[in-house]
Amino acid sequence: MSDKNNNFGDLKRLLKLKQHEIPPPGYFNHFSGAVISRIRAGESGGGSSFLEQLQSDSPFASALMQLFGSRPGVIGAFATSICLLLLLGVLFADRSETGMPMSEPALFAQSESSANEASPTLMASAGTVAPPESGITISTNPVSSLQPVNTLFGSPQNPLFQQVGFTPPSQ
Amino acid sequence: MSEPTTVPDPNASSGQLEGDLVRRARRGELAAYDELVKRYQERIYATIYHMTSNHEDANDLAQESFIKAYSALKSFKGGSSFYTWLYRIAINKTINFLKQRRNKHHISLNDLDFNAEHDPDLVSLISEKTPHRDVNLSELQQKLNEALLKLSEPHRMVVVLHDVQGVSHEEIAEMVGCNIGTVRSRLFYARQQLQGYLADYLKA
Repeated sequence: MSDKNNNFGDLKRLLKLKQHEIPPPGYFNHFSGAVISRIRAGESGGGSSFLEQLQSDSPFASALMQLFGSRPGVIGAFATSICLLLLLGVLFADRSETGMPMSEPALFAQSESSANEASPTLMASAGTVAPPESGITISTNPVSSLQPVNTLFGSPQNPLFQQVGFTPPSQ
Repeated sequence: MSEPTTVPDPNASSGQLEGDLVRRARRGELAAYDELVKRYQERIYATIYHMTSNHEDANDLAQESFIKAYSALKSFKGGSSFYTWLYRIAINKTINFLKQRRNKHHISLNDLDFNAEHDPDLVSLISEKTPHRDVNLSELQQKLNEALLKLSEPHRMVVVLHDVQGVSHEEIAEMVGCNIGTVRSRLFYARQQLQGYLADYLKA
């Protein structure tokens, strides 16, 4: 690797030309002033952005941002994987709600019995589903849905609606 | 191989100790940081300019490097000199920028100073011994910058720091974050590449 063998002398002389490339006259007179005013503007504007703060605080985040910057395809792959994870999460949550450890017929039987216990007159026409220990009656009936059945203090008086007996006048 | 070391002595000029300026800047004294900027602006700008061959990009990147350094001053532990640490920030910023604009080189070269025409080394290069006898310095400058842009960023960085700016191998290794052997091998390879690209403009 000796320079003499490869005769880089001329190349080094040519590279000296780079030292003669100078910015416009007076350029450095204003350079530090521009830097300081940008720093002042940044300080009065609340400092660096969240991304810049994250990049300076965490080398991992900095490396990730550099990777994103240099390879835009990685951003797409990252976003796709995030979306997939989100979708899987939603699907899994749906399944865990519907797929309770109870068979469907048993569920319906239970719901009917609890509905009858709660309100024989109103629930008769509506299919209701009551999880065994939730205390919440899930029903398609808009009036009785999501009403607490039992609480720690016994059966509450529901302030929202009151059952009334109504007998149509006989003709 | 002679090792040029033209890195400025941080304590030599303007009487103020670099360490003192850094401490004051860390406390938020912008006047002290202004002094540090003035001390290193030319070298930081020049390094970035020689890497990008574009004055506007070099201006933006140099300013951003100083701003980033100010905001990160609290994390400066003093393990290396402020100058080396600042250089590392500028180098990383420049290399990230160049990766993003890969294959989109837009040359915007600075003018040559008056001394270029009287530099004996350069005069000899454009003398009658050169195959391209009619070449002038501006054309040579254009060809040289185009050739530099053909190098990969790590190779270009080593050539710029060592052959153009006169930074020693040891300091380059510290700035770039690699060992001295890597610096030397990169320099050798880069020179070989450049010699090939510029064969027509070098003496036979």
